[in-house]
Amino acid sequence: MNDRTENLLLALPGILLLALAFLFPIGQMLILSVSGPDGFTLAPFARFLSDPYYMGVLWRTVRLSLIITIICAVIGFPLAYIMTKVGPRLRLWLVIMIILPLMTSVVIRTFGWMVMLSRSGIIPQILRDFDLVGRNFALMQTETAIVIGMVQVLLPFMTLSILGVLTRVDGRLEEAARTMGCSFLQTVRTVVLPLSLPGLVAGSLLCFTLSASSFVTPNLLGGSRIQVLAASIYRSVTSAPDWPFASAQAVILFVGILLVLIPYMKLTGGKNG
Amino acid sequence: MVKAVPPWLRIASGLFLALTALFLLAPLVVVIGVSFSESQFIAFPPNGLSLRWYEQVLTSNVYLSAGWVSLQIAILVTVLATLIGGAAAIAIHRRQLPGTDVLATALLSPLVLPTIIYAIGMLMFWSAVIGPIHPIALAIAHTVIALPYVVRTTLAVLAESNPFLEEAARTMGANRLQRLLYVVLPQCVPGLGAGAFFAFNISFDEAVLSLFLRGPTLNTLPVQIYGQLEFSPDPSVAAVSTIMIVLTIVLIVVIDRMLGITKFAST
Repeated sequence: MNDRTENLLLALPGILLLALAFLFPIGQMLILSVSGPDGFTLAPFARFLSDPYYMGVLWRTVRLSLIITIICAVIGFPLAYIMTKVGPRLRLWLVIMIILPLMTSVVIRTFGWMVMLSRSGIIPQILRDFDLVGRNFALMQTETAIVIGMVQVLLPFMTLSILGVLTRVDGRLEEAARTMGCSFLQTVRTVVLPLSLPGLVAGSLLCFTLSASSFVTPNLLGGSRIQVLAASIYRSVTSAPDWPFASAQAVILFVGILLVLIPYMKLTGGKNG
Repeated sequence: MVKAVPPWLRIASGLFLALTALFLLAPLVVVIGVSFSESQFIAFPPNGLSLRWYEQVLTSNVYLSAGWVSLQIAILVTVLATLIGGAAAIAIHRRQLPGTDVLATALLSPLVLPTIIYAIGMLMFWSAVIGPIHPIALAIAHTVIALPYVVRTTLAVLAESNPFLEEAARTMGANRLQRLLYVVLPQCVPGLGAGAFFAFNISFDEAVLSLFLRGPTLNTLPVQIYGQLEFSPDPSVAAVSTIMIVLTIVLIVVIDRMLGITKFAST
């Protein structure tokens, strides 16, 4: 046995698993999305794209994912930046504060939001007590509820992506900017922010992809009235097993994600050289 | 922070951290709070204090069998993902195979592909080619999505290992298997360990694949919780959730002991 054979043997189970249980099923799904009773067809796609209901679902998915990604970036960047500045002890606690929700099941976290956002929940209660909203104010089954829940679910991904890049940035660059007369905010804007851009981009891509494809949180917080694409896919599979249509929606989701990601990556990739 | 930071900024940072912590941890705290409620209804802050919902969960067939299924699948996934992912990571690290980069990218690709797309593919593939959904189908699917984590943690550890140790063992007469078992494998242990705990956590908490690949005899804890939330939530759901949160905390402590959670978070 030579080196190559040994390494091939080591990698083989992984290659086989990936080919048989990942690439093959996805390939089959792609084929199914374009196969009808009489061979090749684009009928499921035509059905989706010509129905205002489904186009509304698609638009809501894109819009909410963008909002969620932007909010995650706005909270995640300062959070990651502060984490690079604090002492090791506080930093450990902050990491735990991020990892603990990250590792808790999305179903459980959504449950927590259902309790807080429900009609008698603590958040509408507080808003009513301060007379900020009317008596009939409700948060559950609204897009706002989806955004709140999803930001909490995805914020850890964004923060860790930015943190990974920021911890490798040389702190002396900031000091240099300060000695050259930059104010704190100018330093952040002209030095820290550009340097953390790769992390910000990676985190945004991750947040966008994950929020466009998640259905547990939108389904439970938004209800069946406010459907997103992933929830619609789930319904096509479970309530009326329509596999070609479900596959077509999955393909649309995937293509939609790629359409957003590729220009975004090119744009920011070019800026970073 | 550095000296030249204005005081308002320190105060603002402190406030920001406190609010973010509240936002991130509130759902967990609320779920834990509800689980100790005395009343029939889900309410936070809880009305009264009791352990009755825990008693109900621990004597309920539905929860116990779902928990047992989740545990069995998670253990199987942990073993499979650690063995397969660890071996593949060693092969990738040595960079002697043609197409190593392609292999590495392919092994990490389940991280990028949305789980729901994979879930549909797996459901259709299994039903069309193999037959009724079986717990093994779920275990395989979980292994596929857990694999990238093991590969990544193992590669991270190997990247910092001493490349000459294996060479030294070779010159001392160790054969292939001996080198692998006594030199390479021990160096991988922290990465394999962290990867294993992540694999366990991913499988145990995973809901999307489990919802698609569920069957009449196949119900995991997250699926059970999801179903209850959709139709009839009561504080017993909170008690199960709290047990799962406690398990997560235990996992985090163990990972921290093995690899250091701060280090892991920034890789």
